[in-house]
Amino acid sequence: MRHPIVVPHLGATGGLVRIVEWRAAVGQPVKAGEVLFLVETDKSTSEVEAFRDGILHEILHAVGSECAPGDVVAFLADAVSADAVSPAPVEPSVLPQLPAARVRIRPVREKVAPAPAPVATAPGAPLALTKDGLLAAFATMVLIRRYEEHLYHLFLQGLVPGTLHQCQGQEAVAVGVCSALRRDDLIYSTHRPVGHLIAKGASLDAITAEIWGKATGCAGGKGGQMHLADLAVGAMVSNAIVGANIPIATGSAMGFRLQDLDRVVVSFFGDGASNIGAFHEGLNLAAVQRAPVVFVCENNLYAASTHVSTAMLIGDVADRAAAYGMPGVVADGMDVEAVNRVAAVAVARARAGEGPTLIECKTYRYRGHSRGDPGGYRAEEERLRWLERDPIVRLRRRLEGDLGVAAERLAAIEDKAQTRIEAAVAFARESSEPPPASAREHVFATEARGQ
Amino acid sequence: MNNQPSASKRMGMAEALRDAMRLAMRADPRVFLIGEDIGVPGGFGGGFTVTLGLADEFGRGRVIDTPISEGAIVGAAVGAAMVGMRPVAEMQYGDFVFCAMDQVVNQAAKMHYMSNGQTRVPMVLRLPVGASERGAQHGQSTEALFMHTPGLKVVCPATPYDAKGLLLAAIRDDNPVVFLEHKLLYGGKGTRRESASISIGTDVPAGDYEVALGTVAVRRAGADLTILANMLMVHRALAAAERLEESGMDAEVIDVRSLVPLDIVTIERSIAKTGRLLIVEEDHLTGGWGAEVAALVAERAFHSLRGPIRRVAGLDTPIPCAAALEREYVPSVERIAAAATAIVSAS
Repeated sequence: MRHPIVVPHLGATGGLVRIVEWRAAVGQPVKAGEVLFLVETDKSTSEVEAFRDGILHEILHAVGSECAPGDVVAFLADAVSADAVSPAPVEPSVLPQLPAARVRIRPVREKVAPAPAPVATAPGAPLALTKDGLLAAFATMVLIRRYEEHLYHLFLQGLVPGTLHQCQGQEAVAVGVCSALRRDDLIYSTHRPVGHLIAKGASLDAITAEIWGKATGCAGGKGGQMHLADLAVGAMVSNAIVGANIPIATGSAMGFRLQDLDRVVVSFFGDGASNIGAFHEGLNLAAVQRAPVVFVCENNLYAASTHVSTAMLIGDVADRAAAYGMPGVVADGMDVEAVNRVAAVAVARARAGEGPTLIECKTYRYRGHSRGDPGGYRAEEERLRWLERDPIVRLRRRLEGDLGVAAERLAAIEDKAQTRIEAAVAFARESSEPPPASAREHVFATEARGQ
Repeated sequence: MNNQPSASKRMGMAEALRDAMRLAMRADPRVFLIGEDIGVPGGFGGGFTVTLGLADEFGRGRVIDTPISEGAIVGAAVGAAMVGMRPVAEMQYGDFVFCAMDQVVNQAAKMHYMSNGQTRVPMVLRLPVGASERGAQHGQSTEALFMHTPGLKVVCPATPYDAKGLLLAAIRDDNPVVFLEHKLLYGGKGTRRESASISIGTDVPAGDYEVALGTVAVRRAGADLTILANMLMVHRALAAAERLEESGMDAEVIDVRSLVPLDIVTIERSIAKTGRLLIVEEDHLTGGWGAEVAALVAERAFHSLRGPIRRVAGLDTPIPCAAALEREYVPSVERIAAAATAIVSAS
């Protein structure tokens, strides 16, 4: 039996994709997961994998062909012995359209962000990270990684109260986006907030004390690990209802515009959130209102334990932007420079009053969904493959290799991060418990109303 | 026609609410309206004309029409409130708030608390409620659900005067306020008038005034029995009290126009005088606001009571549509009077 290979929906703004390479030849056996061909859109180049074992039976579109999503470009045949009874060949026209999700897509590189009308560089938000910017990004990414790992090890020793949702592996997204923001721009984070908060400059002491449930915590112990905030740097209370911050961020952006301010709001969420109603309502409202908001989807492939391919039949969350009439951009979430480039464009676009953008960062979380999740639903091979693309290792190579930064300088940054982390944990552990009566406070705002 | 400048004007509740929003928006640029069909030129000013004409004065940037996205309406209001705005969000029908419950219960109600007081959510969520021959999904009274959620204030006016004063106070409150408006009390004109609506047009001061949240109003003083009611039921309770008077019973009717905060002290004081309590609510009986108030009274004023507390409430059924069935669902003047008579004759 022949199985059609279909061009997946890749978020091409013009609709067409170009086949740039065939990795398999006709007659060659291929395994499920093996890359069959590469396609290029106006945004990225993607690998398309075989969804099952078989023999590449026929190629309908050679290298250089332009195809539309949904086009059949090749057929796989079952690898059966010649004398086995095989069903009658099925013509493509009567074949059911195979969902694109049968084809697993891995973006190879972020190429060009869809270019909205050119916008002026916003003050304080350079369009590309300088060497100093990259060094700062390295310091922040190292701080996030080491912080999360430090807490993970303390958690394993039973020393961290409550729950933990960690972001190791996703640091480039938080840092790439937040380094495109001004201090007075806002971020709304999720149940996995530490990276975003640190990247926005939140007090490490205050968030650590909050995780430990102490009076000195950023919410006096009322928030906990999933509800971290530092309003002084524009980090709003992180939200543990998946997708709920999307309409809220939209409303804050509308509020800024009503106040005639040029502040921008970022909503961070995961691939899972793009399936909840709030995503649809929030993005659509933001689009029709042209709200100055940037939606950043961290596609780490798993909503808790559920793989993204079982939750959506498209390869890129960014494709959904087209449904709302906003740009959708795929970025390599393991590359802080790539993330920063697309974020800077989106932020400038929002600040200029041109409306929202949906950015999808392809990334991976190295640890489980939450405490006590060893991630048994993922192959170790998969994790190792993503580790090879580690955003911090990559940035280190860039700094040392391309920019000539001495290894000692980076080591000093790492040492400084470790010192800060240990100080923050010591601060948290030594801080007092909140007074029990404070549980009753702040149900209602009671102070005198006013500006 | 009176040509003298008047300090007050006869108006129905829809007009009174509109007046409140107009005054609030004139006085404070942070106030804006967001909802469905509220500002469309040539449209109808929301489902019940409450916002009619406001877009003409304030522009569609401050009277924001949204897609049919209740979750996003409330979510956007929460987000705007947290950056210093004072949104007034409208659900076209109160029943539609169930599409936005996460934003109301998990977001609006909890942000101040979860941030340890660093953020506040000064917003009003307007909900047209009450059975009005539209059936099960366009007639519920949902105040009890919000009462159960710490962090929300819950207000439910019964008169145009209160509607205006409470709405002005709600807009200026620093907390999320769920503001219930009974459809049969709106008034309105011509084709927009609810067929079963009751005429309660009253003189409403033209100027800016507030009715404090957390207060009740004694609508009729009496010695034999305390009747607590809200919204449409206040008017039915008053009509029942008139009938009871004919048979020599002297009922006190208290309008519980604010459920959160609740002025339990005034209620207790009334019961100390009458010794008898009847609670009238249009919402379903089970788990209603009357149940909570009855529990409070049992805890705090048990020894003032001469007999059991009774409740007259909507049935524990979805709300039926046909008028004949809806009359069975909604507490009637007859049911209220019968329950009152039973209480007084038993004790």
